Amino acid sequence: MILNVDSMKPIYIQIAEWLEGEILSENIKDEERIYSQYQLAEMFTINPATAAKGLNILADEAIVYKKRGLGMFVSPNAKKFILTKRRSKGLRQMVKELVMEANRLEVSQSELDRMIQQVRKESGQDEL
Amino acid sequence: MSVIQCVDLTKAYGKLKAIDHLTFDIDENKITGLIGRNGSGKTTLLKMISGYLIPTKGELKVFSKKPFNSLEVSANSILIDDTMTFSDSLTLVDILKEMAPFYANWNSGLALGLFDYYSFNPKQAHSNLSKGSKSTFNSILGIASRCPLTIFDEPTIGMDSAVRKDFYRALLKDYLEYPRTIILSSHMLSELEGILEDILLINEGTKRLHLPALELKELAVGLRGNAEVVLSFVEGKEIIYQENFAQGSLYVVIRRGLIQQHIDQIKQSGVEVSPVSTDDLCVYLTSKTKGGIDDVFKRS
Repeated sequence: MILNVDSMKPIYIQIAEWLEGEILSENIKDEERIYSQYQLAEMFTINPATAAKGLNILADEAIVYKKRGLGMFVSPNAKKFILTKRRSKGLRQMVKELVMEANRLEVSQSELDRMIQQVRKESGQDEL
Repeated sequence: MSVIQCVDLTKAYGKLKAIDHLTFDIDENKITGLIGRNGSGKTTLLKMISGYLIPTKGELKVFSKKPFNSLEVSANSILIDDTMTFSDSLTLVDILKEMAPFYANWNSGLALGLFDYYSFNPKQAHSNLSKGSKSTFNSILGIASRCPLTIFDEPTIGMDSAVRKDFYRALLKDYLEYPRTIILSSHMLSELEGILEDILLINEGTKRLHLPALELKELAVGLRGNAEVVLSFVEGKEIIYQENFAQGSLYVVIRRGLIQQHIDQIKQSGVEVSPVSTDDLCVYLTSKTKGGIDDVFKRS
């Protein structure tokens, strides 16, 4: 994967999100060892301190935990935790921005609802 | 542990102070980016650290020694720049061979590997290399010497973008395998930012910032929107940069910390809040005026 250096997201957050993606897609499973800061530094051509900060975000949220002398491992239920977190924080933020933009464009509530339903239908996910 | 300690360091050329009361420390085994505009004093500073120039005033210690005329500092440091010259009686391969006696950690296998990768002609003389090839060859010397203090002054001058990427990656890979203190100077922060741990930003011989590279990215935010609304949020606060880009609207760059608690409120008022690229931020922090090039044209 190529990092987006121009993105508004700092590189260490991109690293944390990439690792979360790897856990969500089960490329790294529960209780498996996650990449070390040095492996990540090598993979993404970034400073190991930056990689460590990305890993620390996951450690602070208990998505990974440290085994002394062995490295970082994926916590049980990490996947479930990431899903819940992304729903409550990431998705909520996106909805907030969506509503703000709708307000700026003077789009009514019912119109916005219709647009959301339409997009869900098109993506074939409306039965979820 | 600090490899470089610098207190009130000053270097004057006649009346001009190229370095003006500069104080900072560089920690062991970190990669630091020395960033500054043209003529900000980067090269002068690096030449003092490497012992090529003697400071006018102040204290400079490298490995706890004054670097000027120090054999110890010379043996443990290398300065790579585009003014390096070698005797024409040496071929490129001869130069690689001659490095070993001078640098204890010289990695001959790595040097030859990089030399082959870039398809250099072993029999060529250094002075006949093109500008970009010279930079590329010199960068091999810098990486393979594995000096405890490795300094690159504008190492990517003339390199094409593929070689630049290869250089940064080769340097980082060898650093991971063999950590050492590295300083890279550049005025193009964006391309090397990822591999840096710290950034030292200097302007007119003085320090503007010295902080982890991670923090620079989050130091400032840009606010763009209706001039009156934007000004109401930044009034009385230090503005880093300001630009009127259309009638009645304003773009302002400000330290994130100063407005952090109002960010939601600012967004709700219709002002666009955006991150500031580190390159732009460094330019704003080192410019003499708050308005940039456009100010020059306003006079007419």
